[in-house]
This record gives sequence, C-alpha cells and structure tokens, in this order.
Amino acid sequence: MDKPQMIEHLHESVAYTVYDTKWIPLSAKFVVLGSKPNSHGILDIYELNEDKLKKVKSVEKKAAFKCGTFGASSLRNRHMAIGDFEGRLQVLDLERPEMAVYNVKGHTGIINCIDAIGGTQLECGAPEIVTGGRDGAVKVWDIRQGQEPVVDISPPAQMGDGVNRSNLRRDCWALAFGNTFNAEERLIAAGYDNGDLKLFDLRAMGVRWEATIRNGICGLEFDRRDIPMNKLAVTTLEGGLLVYDMRTQHPTKGFSYVEERNAGRSVGSNGVITGPKATVWTVRHVPQNRDVFLTGSGTGSIRLWKYEYPDRRVFQDADGNKEGVAGKLHMISAVTLSSQPVHSFDWHPDKLGLAVAGAFDQSVRVLITTKLNTL
Amino acid sequence: MEKGKSLLQKYNIPISNLDFGYVEKCENAREMEKIVMILRSGEEGYFPDLTRCAEEKLKKLKPDSKLFRTEEKIQQSNVLAKHELKPIYDWTNEIKNKDNVLSELKEEDTVQALDLPPVRKTTKIDIDKDETETSKNKPAHKPSAKPQPKSTNEQRIKSTDYSKWDKYDPDEEILRMDLEQEREKEQAQIKLKNIINTKKEDQLEISEEITEQQRLNAQIAKLSQVEREQYAEKFRLRGNEYFKAKEYENAVREYTRAITFDPAQAARSYNNRAISYLKLNNYLLAIKDCEACLRLEPDNVKALLRLADANYNQGYRRESYGIYQRVLELEPNNASAKKSLEQLRQQVGELAPAHATRMIIEELPSDTAPTTKKPKKPATPKPAIPKPATPKPATVEPVKLPKDYDLAELVKPNRVIKSKIATAAEALGGTLKNTNSIANAQKQQMQHMMQKVASAQSQLRLPQSTCSGSTNNKLLIQELQ
Repeated sequence: MDKPQMIEHLHESVAYTVYDTKWIPLSAKFVVLGSKPNSHGILDIYELNEDKLKKVKSVEKKAAFKCGTFGASSLRNRHMAIGDFEGRLQVLDLERPEMAVYNVKGHTGIINCIDAIGGTQLECGAPEIVTGGRDGAVKVWDIRQGQEPVVDISPPAQMGDGVNRSNLRRDCWALAFGNTFNAEERLIAAGYDNGDLKLFDLRAMGVRWEATIRNGICGLEFDRRDIPMNKLAVTTLEGGLLVYDMRTQHPTKGFSYVEERNAGRSVGSNGVITGPKATVWTVRHVPQNRDVFLTGSGTGSIRLWKYEYPDRRVFQDADGNKEGVAGKLHMISAVTLSSQPVHSFDWHPDKLGLAVAGAFDQSVRVLITTKLNTL
Repeated sequence: MEKGKSLLQKYNIPISNLDFGYVEKCENAREMEKIVMILRSGEEGYFPDLTRCAEEKLKKLKPDSKLFRTEEKIQQSNVLAKHELKPIYDWTNEIKNKDNVLSELKEEDTVQALDLPPVRKTTKIDIDKDETETSKNKPAHKPSAKPQPKSTNEQRIKSTDYSKWDKYDPDEEILRMDLEQEREKEQAQIKLKNIINTKKEDQLEISEEITEQQRLNAQIAKLSQVEREQYAEKFRLRGNEYFKAKEYENAVREYTRAITFDPAQAARSYNNRAISYLKLNNYLLAIKDCEACLRLEPDNVKALLRLADANYNQGYRRESYGIYQRVLELEPNNASAKKSLEQLRQQVGELAPAHATRMIIEELPSDTAPTTKKPKKPATPKPAIPKPATPKPATVEPVKLPKDYDLAELVKPNRVIKSKIATAAEALGGTLKNTNSIANAQKQQMQHMMQKVASAQSQLRLPQSTCSGSTNNKLLIQELQ
C-alpha cells in the first residue's frame, strides 16, 4: 500500500463526555476537555509513553468545558484558553491550573467555539482569542486588557423583526482566524447555525464578505492562519463540505468554491452510500501540508482529503473582473473510528501524522497516519 | 426509492442496458456510474459478474469516480511493524527533552515579554448596521436582473390601464435598468478596489526588508535554542508548501527566514532554497546556496546534483562535469548523474583541459551558412572531438579566414537545438499583424506563447530533460527535504 493509512495507536476510555482534544505544543502531551455527568468541567492531561497513555493531571471545575486552544500562548508559557458552558473564558496555566491566569464572563450562554492566534507567530500582531457563543456574539479578547473584549461583534439586541428571520437568536457554531500575515491584517470567519458564513475584517473593522450556505456551519478552518488567506474549508450539517479559494474575491460573486455533498455519510464497504445524511463536525488541515485535511463525521468515520489546485487559479470575466477558480477534492481514505460522531480532532503541530481524536462514545484515540509525506 | 421509484426509473435507464454487451460498448462515464449504482443496489436482482464487469469498465472510463471510495474499519497499531513504530517512540523521547527545556525556561523568566504588539483599540463591529446595508445590496447582487422589476413594483402598470401603457417607453426602461446595473457594478468594484489598495500599501511596507531583518535578529537574540529550531522548522515547512504550490518567490522568503533563525542546521533550508532559485532561473544564487549547503553537509548528493544543474545552466559546463563525477564517486549508480554526464560528453565531447579555449567550430548546415563558406569548410578538421591537440588549429583557423566572415556564427556549441515553435510563432505573429481588428487581444496571447517558448527553450538545455525517460531523476532532484 502506497497510500496513507490511518491507524489507531492508542485508545483511552473516559468517564465523561469529551468535548475537545488538543495537543500541548512541543510536547508528547494532550489535553482532553469534557463534561462530567454532574455537569462539572474536567480537564485531563495525558502523556504519550511509547505504547501507553499516562494520565498526568486531572482538573475539575464548576462548569463543563466546551472548547480550548493554545493559539495565543507562546512556546514558553503554553497557557490554554478554555470556553465553558456558562459563557466563561478562562486562560489556565497547566502547571498551576487552580488559579486562572485570566477569567472573564464573556457570553450569556455556552461558548461553542474558540480560536486564538498570535502566540507563536512572529510579526503577526497581538495574541488574541476569539470566542463565539450561543448568544450569537463573536468576541475577541486580549488577555492584557481587563474584562472587556477588544472587538465585540454582537447581533442586535432585538431579533425577529424581519419577515425571513426567525425569532430565535442565531447561534455561532464555528470560528476561525485567518489572513494574519503581518501586524495589521487579521480576519475572522464565523459560521452560524442558519448557514450564514461571515468574514470579519479586523483591520477595516467591518464585514468583508458574507454568504449563506444550505445548512448550519459546524466547522471552519483556514488552511493556514498566518499567510495571506489561501483556502477556507467549511463543514455543515447534512454532510456538506466546501472549500473556498480565498485568493481572489470577485466584486459580486465573492469567492469560488468546490463542494462535496455527502462528506458526512459513511461510504459502505463497497461504495454504496447508506444511512442518513450525517453532519460533518470538524475539519482540520495537516500542519505540515496545507492541502491535505481531515473531516470527522457524524457516523463516526473520518476522511482524509486532498485539495488539488486548478491549472490557473484566476480568470478574468467579460467585465475584466478577476474571479477565482476552485480546485478539486480527492478523498484519500476513509475509516470508521467509532459508532458515535467524531467531533474533535487535532493533528500534532510538530509530528507529521500524529493526531488525537475525541468522539461522543466517551473515548479519546491517538491516531497515526502513515505515508502522509507522499501526498 | 422512498417514493416507490426504483433507481432504474429514477435514472431513466432501460433495463436492456443492464447487459454485458451494452456495458462493453458504453463510453459514457456518467451512465456507467448509474448502471453500477443500480447493479450494486440489488433492486433489479443480484448479478455479481455483471457488477464486476461494469465496475471494471467504469474504472477505465473514470478512475476517480466517487463510487470507488471505500471505507474501512480502523486498524490497530499492531498492523505496523516494530520498525515503523520506532520513529514515533524516538520522537516521543526527543520531544520530552524539548518539553523539559521549555518548562525550565518558563521558570527562568516568567516576566520576560517578547515585546508584544500593543493591545487593539476596543471597537465594535455592528452586524446590525451591516446587515441592513448588505440586505439591501444582497438581492441586487445575486440575480442582478430580477430585483429591478420588483423595485418598480409600486409603479407597476395594470394590464388594463391602456392610457399608461401608451406612455410606456420600453427603450427608456431598458436603459434605466442598464444604468442601474452599471452603477452597481461600479460600486462593487470600488469596494473591492479599496481592499486591493490597502494591500498595495502593505506591500510597500514589506519592501523595507532590511528593517524586517533587523527586527528578526533582535527577536532571535531573545529566543532559546529550542525555540529557534522550532521557528526555523516552521518556516522551512511553510517554504515547502509554497514550493509545492509553485510560488517560488514566497518559498525563497520562507527559507531565508528559516536560515536566519537556525543557521547551524540550515542545510536543508539552503538546499531547498537552491532548488527554488533554480526554478526561478536564478542560477548564481542557486550555486551559492548549494555551496552553503555543502559546507554544512559535504556529501549531500542532492545538493551536488542541484549544484551541477545550476552550473550547467549558468554555462559553467566544466564545473558541472566535475561535480557530476564527484556524485558518481559518492554514489556510483546514480542514474541521474550518469545520464547527465553522458549528455555533457555528447555536447562538448571529451572535455578539453582547463586551459584550452572554449571555441569550437561547428559545421553549419549548408542552407543556413553563407554560400561563400562552402569551399572552405571541408578544409577545416572535424572538431567534434577536440583532443588536446586539436583546439589549437581550431582557434587559429578562424583568424586566417577573410574578414567578411561572421566569427560569431562559427563559434557555436556543437549542438544547437533550435526551437521550431519560436519561428512558427513569429510567422504566426506576422500574419496576425495584418488583421488589425483582433490584433490587440491576440497580441497578448502571442506574448504568452513567446514566454512559454522561451521557458521551453531554457528547459531544452537541461541535460536531464533532453534525455527521454528521465522523469525519475528529475523527481529525485526536486524532492524537498
């Protein structure tokens, strides 16, 4: 076999619902965030020891943890920013997790998603954390600044005024930083439950672009955060996977994209698609190769994809406007991991092919993907 | 299916097509996919042989069809051999050391602040305002023709109101719609231009690269060795990504950063930057980088091959020849080096000693050479194999010739590969000039073609690419580390 193969290296069952898994940068340790049956938050640190997993530390807090990131911490301190079910954002020093380094009540409901940037990137602006919550707000935090967000992107106080709007507040489900290639430029992509995809420009302080996709957006990631934006992968309910080419913005048509309709369903053993349309929960690009990414789906399978650029990425339409050309998606391999949705996945930032995945069957798995370098 | 329709009906395929004969003949990949799907579903019965046959046919027609996607159960790590797991164990131990170093660093100076950029000014992005703004634009954007009738809905003329219809001027209405469209387009363009303009400013800033270098250096001074290695590695990987995407300038920039961050272990970055320079046809810099890489790793075969290639393209064939020989010393079976050496020998013959002149007289084909040369030609000795003795007469010979000879024409390498495309393109250009009406658009195409031709020519001169079946060797050289 010369194509990449995904292998379950280690498996660890836990006694709580796993919500997020993240590697600690430059270490063999990863963090598991979750919710205990009594809805307390739990944070476990595991260490990879050849063919065993060792639990190094376990921390319990009052509110269930939803999501976390190391994006805003430097290599030296490696603090983790965590969002919980009560709308609180905390930054924890994993050596001394009892006292939070930073603690703020940012949202009125659950913090659904978090992303951070600026920790290890040089010359790329301040370290910032962005959180998105059930209250529909997107807030950017700088932990050096007290209890107020540095950028607040909240929906208006009253909703349901239009004909087509539901009375409910929209729910922000996915967030990603991107386009951060110098001290000024920075973008946030935000995905909402109604399929809205918005691109906020933090330099111009405005909405750069927006679109609406058929289904609610569950996962978002730029292929790289710290380069002029190149590609944006979006995953949705009912199995949608879209990859936008973010190099060229057409004045009216926006960005072009390639779409895969049934990325969440399991392809049966002989290629017959069966079962209901399943959500694609997450998308994660390989840190060592930005054109390869993985999606975790509601049927408990994970799929590895490769994006192939078109011969020419830009063409000029009749009016002389530049329009991007989307490439092609190739599915490299698919494996069934669990009977429950695989909703969190993290590639190790320093080791090609090493990853940790969390699923709703109360277990975490360390995966090895072979031959990724041949892609 | 759910609606009581079989796949056969849904796809509208006659049942007679589910047949070996038809499958054999069918050339339509889409139809073949449907047939395979019907057969696999088992709705029309179970035909394993026919299914297999149809699948094989589809594989021929459309090898990357989605129907061939399969999913497996995940395998446990025992499928991996011990030696495959070992790198991971080794890595675990190695990373643990780094981890410890970092933890110590943390204890050392927790207050140390890597002069972070200032905190952003507190602001609010008001979705509300934007939304009303965009919701106004939105319907206008998408189906740009449709909203117009809607907006004039208020003054819509009733079909029975004949007096008003008499006043209605369709031309004027159309004009108005056109103008509206035009205006929209302009606005959209202005909006986009703003974005582009700001980008240009940034590029100006980037042009102050020297200050960037200084800042980088200042930051490097604050970092520990582990951190530096880490950053260097990140930059190198990013360079590789740019290289793969064929953005060689960006790749060079990333590799340069990688080199500044960790000059002691920059062999791979130097090596990769060299190949990027080769791609950019910047051979002198490529040579420099290869040499830098070789200083760090004297026996790096890839660097040697690249160095030889760069030397060859720069015109330093003798050096190139020597380097290929050195490669063969290190790897006697290196196919790429062997082939290139063969090529070099054919081109220059057995290389003359270093002090000999490079001039070689070529026997020009009669149709291109001036007729006056003809009687003289047979007199000159065949210089195809300039043995140590022959170069002398060869160089003396031209001096004796009458002055109206063009010396430049005589001094040519033995083999001149003339690209017919170039002349053809020129001829084509000549005819096009006459037809002025479409000349402008096609001229641009011409330029494109000429550029392509130029690059094709430069490639023709590569020793590897001239020999057929050398793709393997090429790959070897291009492979990144």
